[in-house]
Amino acid sequence: MRTFIADLFGKSPFGPIVEHSKKVHECVELLWPLMETLVNEDFDQLKSLHSRMARLEYEADLIRHDIHGFITRRSFLPVDRADLIAYLEHQEKIADNAEDFSVILTLRKTIIHPNLQDPFFEYMNQVFQVSGTLLTAAVEFKNLAGAAFAGAEARAVLKLIEGLGEEEWKADKMSRKLSRMVFALEDSETILNILFYEKMILKLGDIANEAENAGDYLRVMIEKG
Amino acid sequence: MDFLIILFAAALGLYMAWNIGANDVANSMADAVGSRAISIRNAVIAAGICEFAGAVLVGAQVTETVRTGIVDPAVLATLPGITPHDAAVILVIGMTASLLSAAFWLNFSTCFGMPVSTTHSIVGAVAGFGLVAAGWQAVNWGKMGQIVSSWFISPVAGGIFSYIMFIYISKAILGSDKPARAAIRHMPFIAFILTALVLMATIYKGLTHVIKNIDWLSGSRAVWISLALALVAAVVVRFYARHKLQGRENDRIGAQLEAVEKVFVPLVIISSCSVAFAHGANDVANSVGPLAAIVNILKTGAIDAKVPVPLWILALGGTGIVLGLATYGYRVMMTVGTKITEITPSRGVAADIAATATVLACTRLSLPVSTTHTLVGAILGIGLARGLGGINKKIVYSIFGSWMFTVPAAAIMSGILYVIGKLLFFDMVSRIIGA
Repeated sequence: MRTFIADLFGKSPFGPIVEHSKKVHECVELLWPLMETLVNEDFDQLKSLHSRMARLEYEADLIRHDIHGFITRRSFLPVDRADLIAYLEHQEKIADNAEDFSVILTLRKTIIHPNLQDPFFEYMNQVFQVSGTLLTAAVEFKNLAGAAFAGAEARAVLKLIEGLGEEEWKADKMSRKLSRMVFALEDSETILNILFYEKMILKLGDIANEAENAGDYLRVMIEKG
Repeated sequence: MDFLIILFAAALGLYMAWNIGANDVANSMADAVGSRAISIRNAVIAAGICEFAGAVLVGAQVTETVRTGIVDPAVLATLPGITPHDAAVILVIGMTASLLSAAFWLNFSTCFGMPVSTTHSIVGAVAGFGLVAAGWQAVNWGKMGQIVSSWFISPVAGGIFSYIMFIYISKAILGSDKPARAAIRHMPFIAFILTALVLMATIYKGLTHVIKNIDWLSGSRAVWISLALALVAAVVVRFYARHKLQGRENDRIGAQLEAVEKVFVPLVIISSCSVAFAHGANDVANSVGPLAAIVNILKTGAIDAKVPVPLWILALGGTGIVLGLATYGYRVMMTVGTKITEITPSRGVAADIAATATVLACTRLSLPVSTTHTLVGAILGIGLARGLGGINKKIVYSIFGSWMFTVPAAAIMSGILYVIGKLLFFDMVSRIIGA
């Protein structure tokens, strides 16, 4: 049984996009407990958290592939297809970086210097804020599709994305400050520890960065159409 | 004996109508069913009533086109080498062949999972028999040109109209700072357009063929009555919207949008019913147009084109459509309901109003168009206005493909059937009509 009308309708990607955002944000949420187990030197727990991270990242990837499956060249979307794919790519990289971070923690038993612990958590919290703002923007983006990308709702989402840039800038500033603190320890810490601190800082920075990039594509999709 | 021929043709007409009811009606209700505004059962009942009403009230014009517009009996009778008597016999056999061919083609394509338009099948079939029976001059190419161009124009017009309609809805209501308040202000206007449209199409040329002695209900008076009733509908919608939305203008925008969509639910049900009404008005001709031609000839014994289409024939077509819907169409309706999940009531209303307006306008111009294709055009218009998540572009090509195939296929088949019918039954029919 086939009818023109039923064949006309494809699946809308906006619901699954929010699913993907949620999954990716779940990965970011896992960073905090990972860091805590590292500070507590509970390396067994660290391993299990790492495998959870790997699974979440894999699930996010599945959702993304699913979306790619139904936004083919045949489908006619209210946003640019290339922008949508680029947005998903950046969002996926958030999860990738979160997983990389958990890998760094499992490579060796890095002990976090007591002076660095609080600043590290603060910085991580800021990265978490950036990712959270992106998730909110993605949810609102779905509502915006309901309003056909017009008017008040569009302005609200654009404002949210502006805020995202500011949050990322703050995270950037914190990362520089933290790096300086790390290198100030060059006489009292092993060189390998310092190397690993720096690796962690960079990965966290990448997460915030990718969230901002993803937000940029959201903005382009809203404005361009 | 002429009774037997009418019975045979009526059975064929009924079967064609059954096909229309089984395959096409579900599309008319797609927006209401797809946006979960109405249950499948209620959609079937509502569609049945509206299709029947459309067929009986407004079905005569397009039926007239299928009966005399494509192959004109009067022209046929004046062609060299054809006596008026021969022309009558040719028409009876040819129209029967057309019905058979269109029905065959529909069943054939349904078997292969190819959705095709009944309109294209019957127009192709009638033109095909005309060509084979009396050559190039037998077909009214001016009218054919109008019909074929209306197949291009109607989806495009539906698309443009729905685009404008949805841009209006999204700018004025969905995208406003306070959608709930904007909806109270703008929804009565939408209801006004919808009601005025359907009423005007129904009563503008009068309903005298249905109810005797209501000559007063036509022309400019009909326009005023339509506008007045549309105003009443607008006031009712205003009260309804206010009742549902008042005091919600300070909710979150997301929540307001949801509430506004809920208020669109009754409107999308009514607008989908209008599409079903327009569908009945335009598409009943596909089943009973040839039948009307046959009945006319057998009753008058000549080819008098001036007799109006009898009401019972339209009612028969309407009944066939309802039967098709009740016995098989509800299953198609379920398919439509499960496959269309992305449309919301506000989008449905915009697409439906555009499709209704386009199809009813074509009906008034006596042009047989495909309601489904018009609705597809209207839904694409919503997509262009950024209103829909994912639309399958490929369907546009398959629409063109469908009638590129359908018209020639139905024409060739009806030509062949006509030749066979002429060989076997020419003398019999000739005797029945009487010299």
